[in-house]
Amino acid sequence: MGERLKGRVAVVTGAGRGIGRAIAALMAAEGAAVVVNDVGAAVDGSGAAADVADEVVRAIRAEGGTAVANHDSVSDFRAAEQIVGTAIREFGRIDVLVNNAGILRDRMIFNMSEAEWDAVVAVHLKGTFNCTRHAAVHMRQQRGGRIVSMSSTSGVFGNTGQVNYGAAKDGIAGLTRVAARDLGRYGITVNAVCPGAATRMTATVPESAREARAKGRIAGPAGARPQALAHMGPENVAPWVVYLATDAARDVNGQVFFVMGGLIALLDYPAPVRTIQKEGRWTPEEIALVFSRTLGMDLVNPAPVQEPA
Amino acid sequence: MLAGRVAVVTGAGRGIGRGVALALAAAGAKVVVNDYGVNLDGSAPSAGPAFDVVAEIERAGGEAAGSTESVADWSSAKRIIDTAVERFGRIDVLVTCAGVLRDRMIFNMSEEEWDAVLAVHLKGTFNCVRHACTHMREQRYGRIVTFSSGAGLFGNPGQANYGAAKSAIGGLTKVAARDLGRYGVTVNAICPVAGTRMTLSDAYLRARELRHQQGIRREDRGVADIERLDPEDVAPMVVYLASEQAASVNGQFFLCWGNAVALISQPRPVKTLFKGDGYWTLDDLERLAPATVLEGLVNPAPPKEA
Repeated sequence: MGERLKGRVAVVTGAGRGIGRAIAALMAAEGAAVVVNDVGAAVDGSGAAADVADEVVRAIRAEGGTAVANHDSVSDFRAAEQIVGTAIREFGRIDVLVNNAGILRDRMIFNMSEAEWDAVVAVHLKGTFNCTRHAAVHMRQQRGGRIVSMSSTSGVFGNTGQVNYGAAKDGIAGLTRVAARDLGRYGITVNAVCPGAATRMTATVPESAREARAKGRIAGPAGARPQALAHMGPENVAPWVVYLATDAARDVNGQVFFVMGGLIALLDYPAPVRTIQKEGRWTPEEIALVFSRTLGMDLVNPAPVQEPA
Repeated sequence: MLAGRVAVVTGAGRGIGRGVALALAAAGAKVVVNDYGVNLDGSAPSAGPAFDVVAEIERAGGEAAGSTESVADWSSAKRIIDTAVERFGRIDVLVTCAGVLRDRMIFNMSEEEWDAVLAVHLKGTFNCVRHACTHMREQRYGRIVTFSSGAGLFGNPGQANYGAAKSAIGGLTKVAARDLGRYGVTVNAICPVAGTRMTLSDAYLRARELRHQQGIRREDRGVADIERLDPEDVAPMVVYLASEQAASVNGQFFLCWGNAVALISQPRPVKTLFKGDGYWTLDDLERLAPATVLEGLVNPAPPKEA
């Protein structure tokens, strides 16, 4: 047991299993009072089971920590207010918010239904906005707070078959960059983590998808699997998230990190790398003439054209 | 350059979208000019802007059809794409410019302000790309150009809704490029900077002044004089990406302002820490992180005394 978060109050969404549970447990072990939020749904978002969050609360209390459960859905604006409200009602404040709740409905874009798009974007992106928006009001009044949201290499780098998830996760990275600038002056930091861990969510990605990608020469998320990593448990993602929530990380704001199996990497901001410029407006023909020798140097098509089978 | 090609441009009634529609038509494409004809905040639809641009294309000797459907609705977005197929027999090019703004600091933003901006930019882009890509996949040819923004990629204060939507369009672009590339379809994104009714609104100029006074950092990337950047300057790069010549350009981001075009890098791991023997502890991180992954980082909005 440590005391790095002693007297702090943390809300962790999607804390019933996997990475969220590991974060909630470590925060409690560092002395935080934790709201363990989880609706207890299946990976695809269907169903609900209160005992998923309740079980984590029991485990934290058994270790001598302080926790309460909340079973509201992050994807509803008013319900999300209740999640943050639980921290205020039970513990009097909110110092830390971890936006971790998420679901998956993978499909190639040309077959994706509107419902598959909506469900995934609602939980990840709207859910992260909802909780951040409600927590920010309290944190701004307190003039202090820590927000850590889960993004993903599926969006930040791009991964085939996940346009809903990838868009939502890159949206969370954008939300993080803006919220960091809206809230930094009030002593609040907002950062994102792209986690990699062996959980029930990654267990749903069939090995055949990886094989098909390799066969079709479609690039996977760049750098996502640098090597077979031994320590892939969600407990290896939690320490970095908790570190970002401590006083030691007070000046870290608006950043996106990639954390997996012992690797912790800072991702850089997108930035202009090569520029072409001329007097007067370009014509498309002129751009076509110079493109491959200038802007297009070294560009790789992540999914080159395949002849029909 | 685009003779025989059929293009759909959303938000083509004004500003950058109008410039793109005119330039695609000038390059020989038949163009569906889509615009819901609303105010900048998404209110009060009208057919005027779309059909004004159709008339402008026809006066210049081009071929165009008007469409006044909203991109934000799944079924009406399908009708936008259907207009191209019904009027001109196919769809080769989709350019998604349609967008609205409702700026607000995140702690004051209403659910409605979030939803309205996400619906048009993000859902609207998905809707159109989704309906267009089934045709493009069957044809085994297509060019999709989406509109992202530095507001999301670099982060602009006061635009949590717009920044999140535009960054999400970036993620959509990267994934769609990987889903569709093998079928001869490319998907790329433009981050435009230009003086339009969106950027030159009173609210925008006031916010810029306020940020300046409060010393909030904003990455202007050397393009501060937005008033002098013509929205029609963005079009040539879009036409190039829409052409056969750009066949191998896929999943990329380009910043367009005035007479300049820049390739934008995608996030890369730049500083790393690795532990191979067992799990990380907070003691490890406190000892190692400040001098490694966190070294030299600057808080973009440092705390101010109350």
